[in-house]
Amino acid sequence: MIVIDADSPTPPYEQLRAQLARQIQDGALAVGTRLPTIRRLAADLGLAVNTVGRAYRELEEAGLIETRGRAGSFVSAAGEEALEQARRAAREYAEVVAGLGIDPAEALRIVEAALGHASVS
Amino acid sequence: MRKPDDVGAREWLAGVWLGRHGLGDAEPTPLIAARLEVRRRVQVAGYVLLAVFLIGVALTRRALGRPADFSSSWAPLLVPAALAAGLIAAQWALHLWVRRVDRRAGAGLSRRVAHPVRLGWSAVLGVPHAVFTIASFAAAMLLAASVLPVADITLRYGAIVVLITLAGVGAGIIVQLRHVLTSPAVAEDEASLTADVIMRVEDARALVMPTLVWSVPVVFLYGESNGWWSAASVALVVVGVIAFGLIHLRAAGAGAAARRALATR
Repeated sequence: MIVIDADSPTPPYEQLRAQLARQIQDGALAVGTRLPTIRRLAADLGLAVNTVGRAYRELEEAGLIETRGRAGSFVSAAGEEALEQARRAAREYAEVVAGLGIDPAEALRIVEAALGHASVS
Repeated sequence: MRKPDDVGAREWLAGVWLGRHGLGDAEPTPLIAARLEVRRRVQVAGYVLLAVFLIGVALTRRALGRPADFSSSWAPLLVPAALAAGLIAAQWALHLWVRRVDRRAGAGLSRRVAHPVRLGWSAVLGVPHAVFTIASFAAAMLLAASVLPVADITLRYGAIVVLITLAGVGAGIIVQLRHVLTSPAVAEDEASLTADVIMRVEDARALVMPTLVWSVPVVFLYGESNGWWSAASVALVVVGVIAFGLIHLRAAGAGAAARRALATR
């Protein structure tokens, strides 16, 4: 379900992008799922076509969805592959942390710091 | 101006409808109540229109009598054809009324909710209903086309009227069904989104209900001669009603069909 709140301080395109991205990443929207057309979703949510188009464009740039011409937009396998790669890296990191005898809470803080550094850069 | 009692009754009926579709916990909001009310009115108006059409066709046949041949008078064809055109136009106007009320209700919402997956015709209408509708139309048109070579001029006029009516109504159903499937969702939360899809399923099923397909071929019973066409027109109704009853019993209810459509990913 996608919820757009006109009273929210978050711009509508960002509300839409974030909700679709979350649903794709947590698997609620499976790989290959056909999304509504931009025009249809804009009408459903009472948004301008450009607003939905911008959200779709950003999701496409992030590799979460792909547009197959007139067939429409689909949840991309690239997003799933990226998640799988991240899970693999996390497992490897967990093995290294366990091997070095680092406390799990400290290991999480290291990851949080690294994520914070990555988002700033 | 609407009386407060009317508003209360409208919302009470909306509450009953929600309860019947497994949404008993949801509040019968003015949004849902307004959308259901227009559908109730349209349903009643649809039945009245169909009755007026059938009575009109019957009266026309009685008033104009039996034509000698096609060249002597076009009135027995033109009047029923005009009635069929009027029926289709009136059904279209009712359909637009529902869409207008929905659009107006949606425009007033500050919070909008939608399903992130495209709902196809098979999820909304369902394959059994679609197959049944196509088969009903095909059988009625085949019957009418088969009656065309019969010598009885009354039956031939009837067959042409049936063909014109079915073609017009069939085209109207296709266009209206497309509207039902593609019209924007009107919802402000999860309950109203589920209610929206249930209404969509009910609208689609009501649209393809072949009442006219069963009613119109009955004109073949009024010819000067009886034959296989009389039996076939009765059989069309009997078989149609049995098949419809079986589909109604076996197919998922509108609420279950809507939930299944919403769960589709």
